Amino acid sequence: MSSAATQRLTSKRQTLDEAYAPPANFLEIEVVNPITHGVGKMRYTDYEIRMRTNLPVFKQKESNVRRRYSDFEWLRGELERDSKIVVPSLPGKSLKRQLPFRSDDGIFEEEFIENRRKGLEQFINKVAGHPLAQNERSLHIFLQETTIDRNYVPGKIRSA
Amino acid sequence: MEAMRIDDTNSVEQEKFLETAVKTVKAEAFEMKRSLDKSKRMDALKHASIMLAELRTGLLTPKYYYRLYIDVVNELNHLESFLLDELEKEKKEESIAELYEHVQYAGTIIPRMYLMITVGVVYMKLMPQMRAELLNDLVEMSRGVQHPLRGLFLRHYLLQVTKSLLPDAAEGVEPAIPGSGTVRDTIDFIKLNFSEMNKLWVRQQHQGPSKEREKRERERMELRILVGTNLVRLSQLEHLTQEVYEKEVLPSILEQVVSCRDPISQEYLMECVIQVFADEFHLATLNEFLASCKELAQEVHIKNVLIALIDRLSLYVSNAVGSNIREEIQLFEIFSAQAEGLIQSRSDMPIEDIVSLHTALVSLAVKCYGEKLAYANTVFLSLANNLKDKQVEGIDMYSHAGKELIRVLRVPVDEYKDVLRVALLTDYPRAMLPLNYRGRCTASAFILQNLIDNETGLKSTDDIDAVCSLIECLLSDQPDQPEDAHDSEEFADELNLIASMIHLIKAEDRDVQFLLLNGLRKRLGAGGKWRIRKTLPPIIFSIYELALNYQQSDGDENWDMKVRKMFVCAMGTIGALITTGEMTQLPLNLYLEGAIVANRIKFSENAMVVYEFISKALSVLEDEIADSRERLSALALVTNSVLKVDCLASENWEPLVGQIILAGSKMFKKADQVRTLCSAASLYWKGKVAESEGELRNGNKVTEILKKSAKVAAQCMEPLVQQQLFVHLLNQYYYFYEDGCTVISPDVLSELISRTRDAAIQLEPSREADDIDQHLQHTLQHIRNTKDKYPELAEKLQI
Repeated sequence: MSSAATQRLTSKRQTLDEAYAPPANFLEIEVVNPITHGVGKMRYTDYEIRMRTNLPVFKQKESNVRRRYSDFEWLRGELERDSKIVVPSLPGKSLKRQLPFRSDDGIFEEEFIENRRKGLEQFINKVAGHPLAQNERSLHIFLQETTIDRNYVPGKIRSA
Repeated sequence: MEAMRIDDTNSVEQEKFLETAVKTVKAEAFEMKRSLDKSKRMDALKHASIMLAELRTGLLTPKYYYRLYIDVVNELNHLESFLLDELEKEKKEESIAELYEHVQYAGTIIPRMYLMITVGVVYMKLMPQMRAELLNDLVEMSRGVQHPLRGLFLRHYLLQVTKSLLPDAAEGVEPAIPGSGTVRDTIDFIKLNFSEMNKLWVRQQHQGPSKEREKRERERMELRILVGTNLVRLSQLEHLTQEVYEKEVLPSILEQVVSCRDPISQEYLMECVIQVFADEFHLATLNEFLASCKELAQEVHIKNVLIALIDRLSLYVSNAVGSNIREEIQLFEIFSAQAEGLIQSRSDMPIEDIVSLHTALVSLAVKCYGEKLAYANTVFLSLANNLKDKQVEGIDMYSHAGKELIRVLRVPVDEYKDVLRVALLTDYPRAMLPLNYRGRCTASAFILQNLIDNETGLKSTDDIDAVCSLIECLLSDQPDQPEDAHDSEEFADELNLIASMIHLIKAEDRDVQFLLLNGLRKRLGAGGKWRIRKTLPPIIFSIYELALNYQQSDGDENWDMKVRKMFVCAMGTIGALITTGEMTQLPLNLYLEGAIVANRIKFSENAMVVYEFISKALSVLEDEIADSRERLSALALVTNSVLKVDCLASENWEPLVGQIILAGSKMFKKADQVRTLCSAASLYWKGKVAESEGELRNGNKVTEILKKSAKVAAQCMEPLVQQQLFVHLLNQYYYFYEDGCTVISPDVLSELISRTRDAAIQLEPSREADDIDQHLQHTLQHIRNTKDKYPELAEKLQI
């Protein structure tokens, strides 16, 4: 019926289990629930990072940690240095908003926090979704350890 | 609010996306048609391809994607018919084959597959001998689209456009055109398409963030019909035999359903199978189908599936066509075992689901196995036991479970239309118990209503016992009955139903009839104050009615005794209304009614009964009625009743009348004394006693009483009232005078007339005075009119 270019190939039939199995590469990270702590110079906002996955490379299938903007910067720096991927950029630092004598709350304005939250969520999903980033120890610490040990020994994690 | 706003902005956004896509579709479709008109086929396909690329969008939700799809398919239909026309004219085999080959070079998969299907359809229409091969090629190649939404719509398109082309020739016989295929090819085609579509549909749940899971489930529900179309197609095949269905089609459907482990898919597809395939097929594969039910996910509302199947088959079996199937397949046994197994295996099944499963079973038992009461009874027993195991009680009838329970209880009532038959289901009442007081009453009430509507006669004590067993909660106070239960409208309505039920007691024999009434009286008598007030009076009336039917002894030597017993029974019942029911007026009326009835029956002790009843009525008057207005009307009733009886001997008559006169003279207001005495006077005139024929016409007694009342009237201090009483007395005197009471002399009358005339002048003018004067004038006019009859009186009065 068809020429060589459109020749039909015989492929292996899927089994029922394969057909109906849930996807093997499920990964979902949400950045939610921003809270602003402290006063004056010590004031900062952090976010809840909720992760769910069935990727075998991750030790925990579900994890919850709180991270602030500087933690994201740390992760970005680590990946930039150690991994081979082109690390996406973070939402802007907005230095202007941090100047004194503003009539509003600067970087603690609700709207600003929400925009930043969206940006961070996008960033972390892009990074964590990349197979070459997935075995960086820094990413695992960022996503799954309660506190970040900045003196860790950088390295790769081998998939279980 | 928040959710709605988001939905609104979403739909605005969706409309915008759709609009952009549709604009491209229109523009490209226009170009496609222009090229077709200019016979530039390749250009046309290029435009079609750009148009089809719009279906690659990831922006639209299923609802909006569907709208886009419809627009595109319309344009493809145009393309198809144009190509068909053109190629038919050309009559060249190669050109269609070339075209089919050509569209396979389309750059992206979505336009490629849609074009392949469109051209493939033209190909099949032109060359039927290619049908089997092309169908197979298209359904296989469609695997290339693995995106759930796009894949589902693509395969739906494949199903739609091949609808009229699916081979349906009997299997095993070489078709008229070799290669055009048989039903076998169609079955394989749909089986594959179905399993692929189900896979895509199930997979759709994994598309997107988990917080939007609910939204996705809604969207999946919207798409279910696309998957179901496969099963519809299969069911429409003329040559799909029962054997093939049994051995191959159903097993392969069930295999997909069970393996996908997805509740939404499982529940829908199982119901779909029940809906689309023939009853005979279901009957032949009952065990296989039910076995698969057990393997479905816990979240599947399996009872919906089972109920759908039971309902469908009971309808089929109850029709004449399927009547012998009833014997062949133990439908009831199979289903009740399944239902029980299901309830046992799912401990978290909601109560309403347990009940509704039983509703389906009761329907099956009652509609298909009407003669086997044991079936229906088993279901009620199992229902009662299941609810007991779950320790549910006090179910509100307006809750889901309550509504369902009321529904199941109604099934045999409505279906048998014979409450006595329902009562044969000995475990039926147990299934009522989990309802709360109001719920049980409601159930009992519709049972009674059914009894009344169908005029089911109650002919034996068994019948009465049977009905009573179903309406226990209406007969006496219940432990869970609210304090103010008797205040409700429903309570009153339900008692009215019981009253109506009493009229359905229709024994063939009078003795039995009495036995039944007396038996029921005892039951109803235990109902407490509020109930007996409404339920006992109809019993008493029924006894009176029965007694009246017992006028003659008909040679029954116990007749006297039997009639007497009825009155004893009636008397006791009235007594209960006074003591327990705390009533006065009604018992008094019932005593008097009883006296009049007894008077009409010539049994040996009727005089004694009449005396008893009237004296009891007088006792009620004396002891229970305090209000003077009520006493006045009660006394009038007693007086009238005494006037109507004629079986009393003077020795009994005298004390009764004496008592009436005494009661009259003891009235609190003078005016009332006068009026009651006046009417009591008539007893000595019109009354009858056993010893003498005709009315008493005792003039001396009459005038004695009238004189006494005149004396009382004279004591009255208010001129108006006094005048009124004297006009009344004048009327009374003249009435007896006219009726031949010779003891009344014209002097008395003349004195009364002049007295009233004088008094009339002295009355101060008022509305009341005018009325009284008018009454007097009428009376005088009447006397003048009759003067010719009484010359002596006329002379005295000088008229």
